[in-house]
Amino acid sequence: MTATVLSPASGPSTTPESSRPASPRRRQRLNVHRTLASVVIWLIVVVQVYPLAWLFITSIRTEQDFASGNPFALPTEITFDNYVRAFETGNLGLNILNSLIVTLGSNLLIVLLGMMAAYALQVLGFRLSRFVRALFLIGIIVPVQIALVPLFIDYSSVDLLDTYQSMIIPLAAFSLPMSIYLFSSFYEYIPRETYEAASIDGAGPYRIFGQITFPLSVNTIVTVVLVNSIFIWNDFIFANTFVLSDGLKTIPLGLQNYIGAMGNVDWTATFAAVCVTITPLLLVFLVLNKAMIYGLESGATKG
Amino acid sequence: MSTSMLPSRSKTSVLVFLIPPLLLYGVAVLLPILQSLFLSFFDWDGITSLRFVGFDNYARMFVGDDVFWTAFSNSLGYLAICLILQLGGALVVASLLISLRRGREVVKTLYLLPAVISTVAIAFLFQRIYSLEPVGLLNQLLAWVGLEGLQQAWLSDVDTVLAAVSIPEGWRFTGLYMLIIYAALLAVPQELEEAARLDGANWWQVFTKIRFPYIRPVWITTTIMASTYALRGFDIPYLLTNGGPGQASELLTTYMYKTAFTHTDYGYASTISVFIVVECLIAVGLIILLLRRKADA
Repeated sequence: MTATVLSPASGPSTTPESSRPASPRRRQRLNVHRTLASVVIWLIVVVQVYPLAWLFITSIRTEQDFASGNPFALPTEITFDNYVRAFETGNLGLNILNSLIVTLGSNLLIVLLGMMAAYALQVLGFRLSRFVRALFLIGIIVPVQIALVPLFIDYSSVDLLDTYQSMIIPLAAFSLPMSIYLFSSFYEYIPRETYEAASIDGAGPYRIFGQITFPLSVNTIVTVVLVNSIFIWNDFIFANTFVLSDGLKTIPLGLQNYIGAMGNVDWTATFAAVCVTITPLLLVFLVLNKAMIYGLESGATKG
Repeated sequence: MSTSMLPSRSKTSVLVFLIPPLLLYGVAVLLPILQSLFLSFFDWDGITSLRFVGFDNYARMFVGDDVFWTAFSNSLGYLAICLILQLGGALVVASLLISLRRGREVVKTLYLLPAVISTVAIAFLFQRIYSLEPVGLLNQLLAWVGLEGLQQAWLSDVDTVLAAVSIPEGWRFTGLYMLIIYAALLAVPQELEEAARLDGANWWQVFTKIRFPYIRPVWITTTIMASTYALRGFDIPYLLTNGGPGQASELLTTYMYKTAFTHTDYGYASTISVFIVVECLIAVGLIILLLRRKADA
């Protein structure tokens, strides 16, 4: 759209002849540029997406075909045996359930606590709010690794190692700053009059939060949940550090079970398992990509 | 800042809303930072009692530990490759995307796709891409363009392994930064660019004099994001090579992890993680300093 507005004026030459409108040569040159740009873009997109497509193709290949054939070739025959083996080898169902529990639990905390903090900072306001904001900013810059050893020690002293909470607590806490930030930049735009009207009707800060601020936040909640879910669903480091028992393993840990003794891997079954585990998030992303993209963009550009 | 949007509010209400989030954040983020700082002055294996050692851990790290310096320089290499792929790639694609007339939304979505995939899945994938036996995607591609001589096991070669573990991380998030930069480029006023072109500016001049100054604030944010994410990069090197062969792909993060959870040397591991935090803070400071100063020139 922007490109079409641009086209009549753009062109490298400033000589009088060529600046005349509708010179067919210039239009041709511009088209060549544009075609070139789109060819390059689509090439890059192919490089970006092909590995994922290859993952799905490999998951329906037979083992022999995978071991012997050209990796780029299409499968000689399509088989779903890999998926059967994938479910037999691992605990895929349980892993997915665990990931769902951790993702839901963390998101619940992130949304609820994020809204509360943003409400206190942005709507209620108080003297030390600048300081508290700065405190939350630390969590965006500081790498999560700093928390691993201390949390491991703290967990073992309060018996929280190897629980859902051991994953949910740090995942929620490290996502909280960004969520507070997104909520408070939204609350900035709720007009003061809305609150004044409610106050005249006798509503206090709690009722205003429940009846005005919270219902208005729905769009931001969707954004916050989508963006955080990507990171939480895929979390590896906290789960790998704090969880030991098979019954609590989330998807990233479960996938590692496919590496057998001596490092032998049943690759086609592993890829089938990978496909099973990435499909839920992939579907959510493809359906809701507008909201997700909006969230990712606004997370950074408003800063 | 301290003004309330509500006509009336009580101190208690502020505390009711503020304390729960602060509690979670304090327990899982702020307290561990302090604990790490504290532990970095002790020698502790988690079982016997703490032994205060002063700055010994820091001395050991800076003077007595070759692995630390190898890991540090590897981390910088990892950072460089990630930044080139993520920011460079993002800028090129975003600039090209602006000139595209159709299919922008599709490109955005497809380009972001790898960001949705878990690092474990990515590690499996790239193990097959780099593999030699059976021939993986990369080696097959080399064979097709007549470069069979370059075929090798990319993850076992000391010279290539660092690049090999960095590229997946770059690949994974370049879409995210592309989106952000694209959104910023869209906001550059078209009239300005048009006027410059009429004055005979070439694309490079348009880019450096008009587009880039416009997106500079966003560029600073994305550079900070990309750098701090790359400095905390862990999953992919840990899963692909676990730092090997030797220490050829050891990053500070993987080294810290092994020191803590393989050698249960909690004190020294905390010292390394304090260093990682300081390194991130210095990086953020440097980025702001360098990119702002250019603005004045």
